[in-house]
Amino acid sequence: MEDEKKGNGLSRRSFLKNLGGGAIGTAVISTGLVKSDPAEAYTSEAVKGAPGKSAVTLKVNGKSYRVEVEHRHTLAEVLRDQLGLTGTKIGCDRGECGACTVIINGRNLYSCSQLAVWMEGKEILTIEGLTKGDKLDPLQEAFIEHDGPQCGFCTSGQIMSGKALLMKNSTPTEAQARRALSGNLCRCGNYNREVAAVLAAAIKAG
Amino acid sequence: MAQSEKEFSVVGKRIPRIDAYERVTGQAQYTGDIQLPGMLYARVLRSPYPHAKIVGIDTSKAEKLPGVKAVIHHGNAKIPWSSGGHTHPRFIFNNPVRFVGDAVAAVAATDRHIAEEALGLIDVKYEKIPHVLDPNEALKPDAPKISTDGNLSVGKGNFSAPIEESWGDLEQGFKEADRVFEDTYITKHTNNAQLERRVSVAKWDAGKLTVFASTQGVSNARTDIAQDFGLPLSKVRVVSKYMGGGFGNKNQAQDYDYMAAVLAKITSQPVKLEFTREDDYIGMHGRWASEQKYKIGVKKDGTITAVQLDAVTNIGAYRKQSGNLSGTDFYQIPNFRKVIKPVHTNTVVGANYRAPAYPQSVFGFASFLDQIAHELGVNPVDMFMRNRIQKYKSKTPFTSNYLEECIIEGSKRIGWNEKWHKPGVMGGVRKHGIGMALGGYPFRPGLGAAAIRVNSDGTAHLLVGVTDIGTGAKSTMAIIAAEALGIPLSQIQVTNGDTDVTPYSVGESGSRTTSFTGPAVIAAAEDVRKQIFAVAAPQLKVKAEELDLRDGQVFVKSEPSQKIPLARAVARAGELIGRATTNPPFKDVEGKSFSAHFAEVEVDSWTGHVKITRYVAAHDSGIILNRMPAESQIMGGVVQGIGMAFTEELITDKLTATPINPNYRDAKVPTHLEAPNVEVIFIEHYDPYGPFGGKVVGEPPITAAVATIANAIFNATGKRIKELPITPDKILQAPQV
Repeated sequence: MEDEKKGNGLSRRSFLKNLGGGAIGTAVISTGLVKSDPAEAYTSEAVKGAPGKSAVTLKVNGKSYRVEVEHRHTLAEVLRDQLGLTGTKIGCDRGECGACTVIINGRNLYSCSQLAVWMEGKEILTIEGLTKGDKLDPLQEAFIEHDGPQCGFCTSGQIMSGKALLMKNSTPTEAQARRALSGNLCRCGNYNREVAAVLAAAIKAG
Repeated sequence: MAQSEKEFSVVGKRIPRIDAYERVTGQAQYTGDIQLPGMLYARVLRSPYPHAKIVGIDTSKAEKLPGVKAVIHHGNAKIPWSSGGHTHPRFIFNNPVRFVGDAVAAVAATDRHIAEEALGLIDVKYEKIPHVLDPNEALKPDAPKISTDGNLSVGKGNFSAPIEESWGDLEQGFKEADRVFEDTYITKHTNNAQLERRVSVAKWDAGKLTVFASTQGVSNARTDIAQDFGLPLSKVRVVSKYMGGGFGNKNQAQDYDYMAAVLAKITSQPVKLEFTREDDYIGMHGRWASEQKYKIGVKKDGTITAVQLDAVTNIGAYRKQSGNLSGTDFYQIPNFRKVIKPVHTNTVVGANYRAPAYPQSVFGFASFLDQIAHELGVNPVDMFMRNRIQKYKSKTPFTSNYLEECIIEGSKRIGWNEKWHKPGVMGGVRKHGIGMALGGYPFRPGLGAAAIRVNSDGTAHLLVGVTDIGTGAKSTMAIIAAEALGIPLSQIQVTNGDTDVTPYSVGESGSRTTSFTGPAVIAAAEDVRKQIFAVAAPQLKVKAEELDLRDGQVFVKSEPSQKIPLARAVARAGELIGRATTNPPFKDVEGKSFSAHFAEVEVDSWTGHVKITRYVAAHDSGIILNRMPAESQIMGGVVQGIGMAFTEELITDKLTATPINPNYRDAKVPTHLEAPNVEVIFIEHYDPYGPFGGKVVGEPPITAAVATIANAIFNATGKRIKELPITPDKILQAPQV
């Protein structure tokens, strides 16, 4: 029997990425997809002669970057490949693992599930933005003291989710910390260390 | 033993990892973070069929897509991948393809999206071949043949045969038994699922290949690549500085490293090949599934007289590991026979995943022992204590064995005597249960190498080939060096994981880093200490043999107040270099780390949901060199075991032969919400064969976790779940015994 097969079909991810200015976001919660406000659709400008490309201004860690991005480029890709901010990792690229978590307008979100063109005018905070000069954020210090990273690949995401929690709630309970970090997988299984670090940072700051 | 009584200055403390700063600031550069000028991106096309001959590949449309630079497949890139298929030749692209996910082609393009688009433009003509998914079916004479020698994999030398092992007199053992029990336990394929997807960056400079690999072992990756590409070792450099987890499936060099290298060669540009998450689940390997049939003979008091294990394991389409089962290792079995049949099927490869041959059969064997204890009316803790291993295969002594103390201390901590009750007698909706099991992992010293450069200011630079896959190996090596040299840890810099710079290392698999490379670090330190004493002796006006070095001070042993700082002693020495290649003798003994795990659970008898309320892990890993990461590894191993126990299973659809849940969401791994607080107890005794008395740590914690949880569920419900994963529906439907 002969059969012909043409590679991959349309994946959920390429579908999402080709939506361009659409308005689907994935919040960092373990239950999955939620809708974000359609009014937040991007206001970037098209790049002349380059269909599917726009110029956007990204405000990352307090600095503004004017970048040309393809509509299908996720924020995670642009942070890593164009801005060189490789502290943000991509573990699954499909909104499941949380390694790419950054803080956007005060909220922890999966940057693999946010298109770069949606980011015009938003305040983005990445792991690189937590360190002020040589001074570590208390949460980073707590991650060192409590052995937060094993392989370290999820660590940036864990810290960013922890930071987003502490920005809203400076005295979380253990249950609140677990819930807040529950969208960040750690295959080394270092969950207790990560939660302990968040709680210790809260105590330190308080 | 003199050394065991020595007071350590650095070993055994709670010291943060020496590279923790890099890991918490995002500065640690992992393979995927590497960007090189002119670098291309590559993606892999995989077979949609479980078994098919490729009769045509048309890449013209893909090649015409702007940005595509090269397309490779079995027709134009016939490169052997020797670590991908032991004994039977395997290539980076195979024809026929043998499972859904077998690599068919790879594309390099200027952008990863273009490469991905190009995959869809490759026209492949397949001729389907009959396939087989079930290992028992695969053993039938008329089953489709996956390997040239048949579907039973190689067990002895190069012959297709089961793995067999026996000692004592099985028949006599069963005769001596008061009762004989038989039952079958089943485990499924689970994925390593490390957070870092496979990625490789390759480049060629004047005939020399550099691979930035996400590998657990740079030395064996280099050897593999050199062998398969026909290059001298001097023309291959493998670098892995930070690695985002592997748990056994990033050992050595893998097909993606080779594909990146071939694409880089063709295009004369650096190439980064990235796996997608789905590629990662199906393209490499996970833990082999198993069906374990046990026959166990026991005395009335629970003492084992004989064990027979007949098992079939599913190693998938290619043989990358043995397919063995070793969960009986922790018990004293006077008469024993096992026959394991590792079988090829047209499914994803089953190979190394943390303690490869253990958690499956620890689940089977320790569950069955717990069941037998129940039927005999013996308390499980007495059953496990009575049958714990004392001598390897009933004859060879262990280098050290404190399994008994693990059981005593662990059961005390969890409060076994107060909390244990008869299985299935609890009233109410949420039923309390308590369970235990034994585990561990083999330990032995082996070939290692290290170099230490002592700078003229007294600081030191340790060079080791180890990669740090999350175990803290880099820190452990620095701790060993600081202890052995006699200088503070802060004075040591480590360069690791670069074959052009660092000495040979066995590779971070089999929990071997500390026991293989550790002794070499100690020997290199001793070597450079001699050199230090030689230059310091005239300054202190004594003989070199009279000197010692501690806390960065060179002093006269008989008169410690006569001392000079190391920095002064070596100030005019330029640079002193200590080096060593070691392979300590290991004869007529066996090494093992041991563990006893204990769990308390609450089972909701309406929903079948299980909550782990307490977990105690007692481990004999010898002296703990680096306390904090060691504890973290124990906790993490338990969490991985929880995933294997409850949710993880790569499900292959019977109709399409396709894995239908190759991702975190559908083959769910534990999250923060499922991780219990694991209480770690280290039973610390000096092992004479381990560096500074330490045995293995990384692998043991996952071995007993699954069985421990299963036994706690039995205690809560009186229901014995004999097939993983233990899902709520199985708990609700299982009969109460």
